[in-house]
Amino acid sequence: MAPENMSISVNGQSQVPPGFRFHPTEEELLQYYLKKKVSNQSIDLDVIRDVDLNKLEPWDIQEKCKIGTTPQNDWYFFSHKDKKYPTGTRTNRATAAGFWKATGRDKVISSNCRRIGMRKTLVFYKGRAPHGQKSDWIMHEYRLDDNNTSNCITNVPMIVGEAAQEEGWVVCRIFKKKNLHKISSGSTIMSTTTSSMTTETRSAQSLFDSCPEGALEQMLQYIGRTCKEEENEGNNMSTRFNLQSINTGINNHNGYHERFLKLPSLDSPNSTSSQDCYQPNIHEEMMGAENNIDEDFQHQMDSGLTNWAALDRFVASQLNGQAETSRQLACFSDPYDCNDDNHELQLPTTLRSISSSSSNKSYHATQDYNNGEINLWSFARQSSSLSSSDALCHVSNGSI
Amino acid sequence: MGDDQFKLPPGFRFDPTDEELVVHFLQRKAALLPFHPDVIPDLHLYPYDPWELDGKALREGNKWYFYSRRTQNRVTSNGYWKALGVEEPVITRSSCNSTHKVGMKRYLAFYVGEAPNSGIKTNWIMHEYRLSPLSAGDGASSSSSSSTTTRSSKRRGHLKTVNNEFSEYVLCRVYERDEDDDDDDDGTVLSCLDEVFLSLDDLDEISLPI
Repeated sequence: MAPENMSISVNGQSQVPPGFRFHPTEEELLQYYLKKKVSNQSIDLDVIRDVDLNKLEPWDIQEKCKIGTTPQNDWYFFSHKDKKYPTGTRTNRATAAGFWKATGRDKVISSNCRRIGMRKTLVFYKGRAPHGQKSDWIMHEYRLDDNNTSNCITNVPMIVGEAAQEEGWVVCRIFKKKNLHKISSGSTIMSTTTSSMTTETRSAQSLFDSCPEGALEQMLQYIGRTCKEEENEGNNMSTRFNLQSINTGINNHNGYHERFLKLPSLDSPNSTSSQDCYQPNIHEEMMGAENNIDEDFQHQMDSGLTNWAALDRFVASQLNGQAETSRQLACFSDPYDCNDDNHELQLPTTLRSISSSSSNKSYHATQDYNNGEINLWSFARQSSSLSSSDALCHVSNGSI
Repeated sequence: MGDDQFKLPPGFRFDPTDEELVVHFLQRKAALLPFHPDVIPDLHLYPYDPWELDGKALREGNKWYFYSRRTQNRVTSNGYWKALGVEEPVITRSSCNSTHKVGMKRYLAFYVGEAPNSGIKTNWIMHEYRLSPLSAGDGASSSSSSSTTTRSSKRRGHLKTVNNEFSEYVLCRVYERDEDDDDDDDGTVLSCLDEVFLSLDDLDEISLPI
């Protein structure tokens, strides 16, 4: 297929001419390099080397997988996946200094409508699980699809491919994550350094705006799945919901408020009534999560704690004394704003709370319901009827 | 001239840094040193419109590379290139970690129509690299540290004279700016979906099927 005389020999050493960089497409990685590797064919120019992932730290790989002398932003290598335990299917990706942890969902790589492989994204954590400290090192691990016979991508069940592929050669690319997000307007902003929530949410919003279609959907599926899992092992309340918005998904955790203790404060000190606050919490959460490690997290947490305490009290007070408790998704306004009816609709932070249908004015959902006017804001609308087709989320009370 | 034998394995792309363009391509060109492989053509005598470059200049992705000469007004058959007024130095880092300027990079936009003022601006952009006057002389000899040690030290005297003559060489990179989003990242920026997943990982360990 490929011509034999491809390498360029300089002083008897293979060398890449100046100006050229190894920027393979995912298709090239899989179809050319990994296929050759798996079938034991030689690759003329030794651009992708074998690396024992358990022996080398990311920064060592960087040294070992240099191509030529020119600066690189990403490094490629082959790795042989081994099982972590003889009986299990998990892969051991620990090094001396840390470990690689998978994140997100595997992505299908396809070429001409044919599914050719999968990509897993991993993050390097320093230390030992579960207390590792996340680093900026990212790895994309590509594996060939087992069932190359299946012709079109459509809905090949993922499980088949995944189970079969826990061992064998993979081709990997590592790089250091940049924290710059390109926004459609062309301006670049740092997503992680903004400390003011207003800015933060705005940038988060932009991030979402620039999301390709489909990404959001995938994310929702993912979140939905996660929620369901937790739900099942959670308490005895079985909640059914249609996932149509981010907020419904992410907010529908049992004991979610505990998680929230880690998040930035709900209310933004200087923008209580501004439009900027109309941001679903998930946005801050996603961006805010990156802040967790740095110092202003502590600050935010401090200022946030009072709110959360107030919230806890509030939720508790609602739960007590409600005979029939129907769980609803509700937008819950900032506790400090609850006292003021006029402000109620101005600051719906997307916090799911376990509310009762017996009306309490500080619940938007309830008020909303009473007014028969479901027009709060597009994300966390709640509807009392499952048949309402335009309701974004439903939580019906299963068995309580 | 074209080196037809030249072929790299799949995955290699011509994606030079500014420094490489000046040090490896412009300085060598100006010093009349041979190229191996000779990938960038000299289109000095052909004032192509930018959309005519395909098949004539070196193409990588949506960018085209070629040599030309310095000129005050770069006019083509259907328009002209006009400087955007931005210039930046091209810096090289020598072995002893000191840096020095080896060239200049300037930005031009393509206008359709009559020069100098009646044209309509297009999205075509040119980066024009030239050797900086200082480095033109000693640039070739100082580049000896990198690749051509023995040869250039032998020829140093010769080079200097040549350089004066040919320091008018420029190297051009032409591309059409995308309205929405030019400058695709180099792959080290995560997709926003990945960013989201990453952030989710920070929340209390959400258990993932691995």
